[in-house]
Amino acid sequence: MLRIALVVSLLAPSLALAADPTPLDAKKVEFFETKIRPVLVEQCYKCHSEEAAKEKKLKGGFKLDTRTGLLSGGETGAAMVPGKVAAGTLLSSLKYEGELKMPPKGKLPDAVIKDFEKWIADGAVDPRTGEIAKAVGIDIEKGKQFWSFVPPKEPVVPVSREPKASVTPIDAFISAKWTEKGLKPVAQADKRTLIRRAYYDLTGLPPSAEAVDTFLADKSPDAFAKVIDTLLASPQYGEKWARHWLDVARYAEDQAHTFGVKPKTQAWRYRDWVIAAFNADMPYDQFVKLQIAGDMMSDAPGDAFTKFAGLGFLGLGAEYYKNTARDQAIAEELDDRVDTLTRGFMGITVACARCHDHKFDPIPTKDYYSIAGIYMGTNMSDAALGSPAELKAYQTAQADLKKADDTFKKMQTELRAKKDSWPVRVAKLLAMKDAAENSAKIKKDMPAAPSVAHVISGNGPGMKIYIRGNPATKGEDAPKGFLQVLPSPTPSGANYTRLDLANAVASKDNPLTARVIVNRVWAWHFGRGLVNTPSNFGKLGDKPSHPELLDWLAVNFVKNGWSMKWLHKQIMTATTYQFESKPDLENDKIDAANVYLWRGTRKRLEIEDWRDSLLAVSGNLDPKAGGPTFNLNDANAKRRTVYARVSRHELDGLLRLFDFPDANVTADKRTVTTVPQQQLFALNSAFMVSQAQAFAKRVETMGTTDEARVTAAYRVAYGRVPEKAELDLALRFLKLPLSAEDKLTRWQQYAQVLLASNELLYVD
Amino acid sequence: MLSNGMISRRDMLKSSGTGLGVLGLAGLLADEAKSAPASANPLAPKVAHFPAKAKHVIHLFMNGGPSQVDTFDPKPELTKQHGKQPGAAGKATERKTGPLYKSPFTFKKYGQSGIEVSEIFPEIGSCIDDICVVRSMHTNIPNHEPGLLLMTCGNTQPIRPSMGSWLTYGLGTENQNLPGFVVMCPGKPVVGPALWNNSFLPGVFQGCHIQNLDPKKVIEHIRNTSVSATTQREQLDLLNQLNGLHKDKRGSDDQLESRIQSLEIAYRMQTDAQEAFDVAREPLKVRDAYGKGYFADACLTARRLVERGVRMVQIFYGSGQPWDDHGDLEKGHRNKAKDSDKAVAALLRDLKQQGLLDETLVLWGGEFGRTPTSEGASGRDHNNHGFSVWMAGGGIKGGMAYGSTDEFGFAAVDKKVHIHDLHATILHLMGIDHEKLTYRYSGRDFRLTDVAGNVVKDILA
Repeated sequence: MLRIALVVSLLAPSLALAADPTPLDAKKVEFFETKIRPVLVEQCYKCHSEEAAKEKKLKGGFKLDTRTGLLSGGETGAAMVPGKVAAGTLLSSLKYEGELKMPPKGKLPDAVIKDFEKWIADGAVDPRTGEIAKAVGIDIEKGKQFWSFVPPKEPVVPVSREPKASVTPIDAFISAKWTEKGLKPVAQADKRTLIRRAYYDLTGLPPSAEAVDTFLADKSPDAFAKVIDTLLASPQYGEKWARHWLDVARYAEDQAHTFGVKPKTQAWRYRDWVIAAFNADMPYDQFVKLQIAGDMMSDAPGDAFTKFAGLGFLGLGAEYYKNTARDQAIAEELDDRVDTLTRGFMGITVACARCHDHKFDPIPTKDYYSIAGIYMGTNMSDAALGSPAELKAYQTAQADLKKADDTFKKMQTELRAKKDSWPVRVAKLLAMKDAAENSAKIKKDMPAAPSVAHVISGNGPGMKIYIRGNPATKGEDAPKGFLQVLPSPTPSGANYTRLDLANAVASKDNPLTARVIVNRVWAWHFGRGLVNTPSNFGKLGDKPSHPELLDWLAVNFVKNGWSMKWLHKQIMTATTYQFESKPDLENDKIDAANVYLWRGTRKRLEIEDWRDSLLAVSGNLDPKAGGPTFNLNDANAKRRTVYARVSRHELDGLLRLFDFPDANVTADKRTVTTVPQQQLFALNSAFMVSQAQAFAKRVETMGTTDEARVTAAYRVAYGRVPEKAELDLALRFLKLPLSAEDKLTRWQQYAQVLLASNELLYVD
Repeated sequence: MLSNGMISRRDMLKSSGTGLGVLGLAGLLADEAKSAPASANPLAPKVAHFPAKAKHVIHLFMNGGPSQVDTFDPKPELTKQHGKQPGAAGKATERKTGPLYKSPFTFKKYGQSGIEVSEIFPEIGSCIDDICVVRSMHTNIPNHEPGLLLMTCGNTQPIRPSMGSWLTYGLGTENQNLPGFVVMCPGKPVVGPALWNNSFLPGVFQGCHIQNLDPKKVIEHIRNTSVSATTQREQLDLLNQLNGLHKDKRGSDDQLESRIQSLEIAYRMQTDAQEAFDVAREPLKVRDAYGKGYFADACLTARRLVERGVRMVQIFYGSGQPWDDHGDLEKGHRNKAKDSDKAVAALLRDLKQQGLLDETLVLWGGEFGRTPTSEGASGRDHNNHGFSVWMAGGGIKGGMAYGSTDEFGFAAVDKKVHIHDLHATILHLMGIDHEKLTYRYSGRDFRLTDVAGNVVKDILA
């Protein structure tokens, strides 16, 4: 059995003393019983006893309701050493001397503190018996038996008796649960619903009316598979799916802070890298490795962009103000890296072990610092992506500019000093004019800033444990390495690098990595993961609803070259994916949350998809891909939302309003809130009005009568023709007289209503 | 039964208009595995852990850090030893400071309690019997950025929800036609939006930052400028009908229904919010009492907002860090006090007169204090070791000075109150156990007070 060294060292003195056979002095026992025990019971047990532990109120991992517990100390180390009043934290905390002050509600009377001092000096006689119920520390071997740490094995695909869904292995696993739970799946969605669902899921855009027509006309059995293939091959696929990953990567172009951080002017290259990776169907294990250690991989692709730009995963991470409390700020930066890396790739909350051993998962504090140590002292730097000539030209021009500016400033200073004679001053004035012109010319001809990727570089030397997460109280060494509960191809130690870390995370033997990503992809398709806590596969996370299916997907995902596109197709061609999203009274009684996927899931569009749809429907969408970001406040901005600026300092109002996650921290899923400020955007924003105007204009050319135009508008916006009631409402509205203050025509007003509708905001 | 006209008027102002019932706090406490159904309005009023003394918080944030020894913490010994070195009482702050530097201001006893207040705050002084000055505050770092973050979000790094976000998350808000957490600042304080951000809490709990107090511009997209009110109603009616047809075809779906409701609330918000922020509707007498300028208008707006059920209002005194007087403190503090004294006092009196002070907790203070030693010839450096804040209303004992700093006012020594303790106390007054208001994120339960915080019981009425 493996226990971590820290625990052993803390327990050692207590074990030795427990065996001490000296009989207890009666007077000293009496002193304890009258002066010490009542204080402990009254003032301390509430937070430091077995009882407190049972009620989950134990503080600092310290129990003093037994002699053993008191002598063992807690997370801050030894509480006291009998006979030595200067040692341990008990007395100093009672005296309110250090950072730790006990009891927290107020200092005890001096007389009481003197009693404790005397008691400790006299050998701290304590007749109480009883061992600590459970020693602190983590049993790694036992931890390995938790489901998510057990390597996935390919399960046998069940034979389904469910006639509706025995088509694919996914259906077989899913339908087995229906049988078990007594659920009856609903009907298949109609083809219009299906193509819309597929378009939004894979590209974040609605299908054109023509694409819908083609699909409806295609009666071949693989018609839907063909749609999926087309969409996966389209560049819009990468734009949609990169955004999912960017939530996990807490991608942003700036820092929450306003001070002292070099701006990351080319942060968008990481976004473009992720888009390119999805579009190229980059094997996921390579996707992972390039983001951790692309610069160190001998088998990395040759081009600098692919090799370096993925490092923005951590290279764009949090940087904090280090003017004061520098060590604390660095510790926070390390925490951002450890947290984003471990939750993002492996769905495990290692950051919980920063101040104490993980309370639920087999992650000792030491493991946290083993990983943090790899990043301790690494640099946030820029990797050149362009040619050396490009870089040289830019640097030369910059140096020239500096020289010209310096000359100008020097002359300016001299002139202001008014020390020279008039003729000299005139000459200098002329020279100054030349210098200014020269500087202007250099600026004008300045080549574009060379392409760089903002990366994290270097390898840390490793670090010591910070006791209770406090950089000021260092504990034992935490040799660089991987989590003990997971396999690592290379052993921990001084030579452990980011590359070793990358190989360990992206290993097919890592029981988490493949499971976590197939679950994420599943969740992004269905709105709910098989494990409903996509970034927490630990004990406090959700248990898988379909464990065998999760393993089947993980194993086969790896077998199929870690291919995302393979995975999408497996999921989308399953009958399970293709149900209508209607409720069903009987099923609702058993599984209203649709955990067992007996129906489709109606989803509100994410803000990117909704804004892009408004632009697409109005005919305004600019398909330009990649490059620097644009500002969503710009009224003329018509590019896809994935290319909009994302700020940690001040998230754009539209993004924030529609539940875009805070880019300061990794996000596993988006909350969906419905608040009136969102509707104010739909009713009143200049953006909405502008799309309504364009949409009305677009539809005007599509027919000569209102009826024909309304029909065209429905086809463009919703991929269907209007029903009679809808047509009647439209025609009646269009005939209403205008008010004097109206700046929009009735058609423009109507177009806005169609754009603001639930039908455009929710996809069945 | 309504016993007086005022209550009915206030109830009317608070029209919640959602038809959604009150949710228990426990029901909302998030769990990673179970997200609340999309239909549940996360801002609906919720039941507190225990009966609350206060229903609203108004935080008058004197950003930059006012000096305690020049405002609410008189130090005769400092005056006596002016020019001498502080000796053992000296503490490290951000910059090196010089000798002890007496306050350029005199102090005067006010009210029945006789608490001394600096001459620069005569109006606030006259309200002292409603005020509890906490003179033993301390914080972690003598820097604006971490100081501001700790005061607003309970953490020195910018990745935690702000107190207003926690409060609206825990308690919802009483008026669905207005934002639940309003932040007013002409421009931006240092750090900026992280000070009122929701962080890992859902986006609806973010503070609504209002720079321009013009009622037509307060909330984004609050005003329709393209069609008449009648036409907009016609548009909305059509939208409702189309959404109705859409929903009927799909059977019951809470999320579709709640968006339909939300559109109606938004429609009403257009008029309600503009009305709430329109201080021109106040009688001239009231406006005169508050005085002129952004801060005065913001204080008056704060009263109008809490009257209408807004949960938390935070007013930053100014853009940047106005109270940060490293030089010429006398002039700097005098001017800012002159600009704000009348408005703050008017707010306290107005709340009291409207019967709102009992249920509204007013907090005044900066992110830290200043050194009793001099910086340069006439300024003071940041000081995290000791400073003063004061509170009034909402279950706070009036006419009280709590805790103390050392003889020079450098460091809190008696009954020290950390920011976590202040937060715990504020939550307590709002009916919340600060250890139980948690949100599970990244595998653990987060709190405003991290793993600390003790309610300062002695200052509770």
